[in-house]
Amino acid sequence: MNEKCNKIKRDLVAFLYEEIDNNTRERIRSHLDICASCRDELQGIKGVAQAADSLNDEMEKAMASVNWDTLPSRISDAVFDQKSALPLQAPPGRFWEILVQPRLKPVYAALFVGLMLGALGTLIVMRTSLLRESRGESFIVSQEFLDRVELEMARRDTLDYLEKSQYVLLDFLQASPKSAPQTWRRDLASQAAKDLLAKKRYINPQLDKFRMAKAKEICDQIEFLFFELTQVSDQLSEEDLQNIQDLIAEKQLLLKIKLLKKDLEESEV
Amino acid sequence: MGQMEVTRAAEPHNVPLLVERIKEGDREAFMAITRLYQKKVYLLAYSYLRNNEDALDIVQDTFLRLYQKVDMFRSEKNFQTWLLQIAKNLCIDYYRKNYSRSKAYRSDEDVEEVRMPAQDDENSHSFSDVERVFTKCLDRLTEKQRLIFVMKHYNNLEYKEIAQILRISVGTVKSLHFKAVQNLRALMSPYMGEQI
Repeated sequence: MNEKCNKIKRDLVAFLYEEIDNNTRERIRSHLDICASCRDELQGIKGVAQAADSLNDEMEKAMASVNWDTLPSRISDAVFDQKSALPLQAPPGRFWEILVQPRLKPVYAALFVGLMLGALGTLIVMRTSLLRESRGESFIVSQEFLDRVELEMARRDTLDYLEKSQYVLLDFLQASPKSAPQTWRRDLASQAAKDLLAKKRYINPQLDKFRMAKAKEICDQIEFLFFELTQVSDQLSEEDLQNIQDLIAEKQLLLKIKLLKKDLEESEV
Repeated sequence: MGQMEVTRAAEPHNVPLLVERIKEGDREAFMAITRLYQKKVYLLAYSYLRNNEDALDIVQDTFLRLYQKVDMFRSEKNFQTWLLQIAKNLCIDYYRKNYSRSKAYRSDEDVEEVRMPAQDDENSHSFSDVERVFTKCLDRLTEKQRLIFVMKHYNNLEYKEIAQILRISVGTVKSLHFKAVQNLRALMSPYMGEQI
């Protein structure tokens, strides 16, 4: 089967039903003279048309059964005199007529049920909420509780800061003047000492907020001491270090830390 | 208006005049138009639905719709095409509403159950056997293919008219007609042997 045959076969139905221009008809006829395959195809299409013709007799009988003379007046009567009796409804002319069509009843029923369920659900939710409020229950945390939590956190942070500072200062004071520079450098160079300075910056706002003046004063002294030593430790002589050790002892810094710790531990929230 | 005048007017070239008079509520003009086109509408409805009562209902409903919508008809359009468009739409609605279920039921029965004589005894084919096979195969076509086949074969409408009624191109009509015939041939071939 070649390209030409395919094209001819697509036109054979139109050819049989005489829906084709003269040139194409002649071309198809010429081709059918020489092509058995296309002739077979046409024969098959004719077979379908013949089978379709088998209904002609039935249709003719049906046509003959109708009284064509009286039908127009019957239809005319129905249209002009008995419009309402016709089986088909006229299309609704106005918007409200469309809305009140009987076939929309299930839709309206479903909408009504949906609305009722929605209203019921809303009522239950609102009623539960109102009851909870009337009982004084609330999931919202009070400001007082939050303040107490923050105060406790400030207390613990300060205690932690004092304790770690105490260890560093003890190491420094207990060291001999000869070994103190190494100890001091090592400790101040360590991450722990730097962390203590950072931690002090973190607890500053808490100390201010809760008016822990005494604790703040001591913590400031420790911070100042650490900061100064961090800056100049490399240039300190044994004599300077000895003087600092004496100063710490004189100021009774460790004692103050100890007392402050005790105060804070007793004032547990 | 006298009967002679209506008869004279009831010719295709006087259709626009009749339509104008129907717009004015002229009952005689309405009857003249009905008389002129009733058989064409009936043939389309019957060939599609294959039931006399249903076809008569479609005829009545078509002319009722014509009366209701006559104001929408534009004189530059072909009246027969416009009327058959109404009839076609009613046929499709009627078929979908009343025939779809029974068609589904009938498809269970299938073409195989239709008794066909042996191929070597083809001369003894009873008319009703071919008719029944063809009817069932026709029912298997898609809605548009069936409509086009029926319009072309039984109503002798041209491709151009069918295209206007279905609001599709002539090329599409030609293509769908070709497919309808091919499908009918494929469906019928097991039962019709070499005849198809």
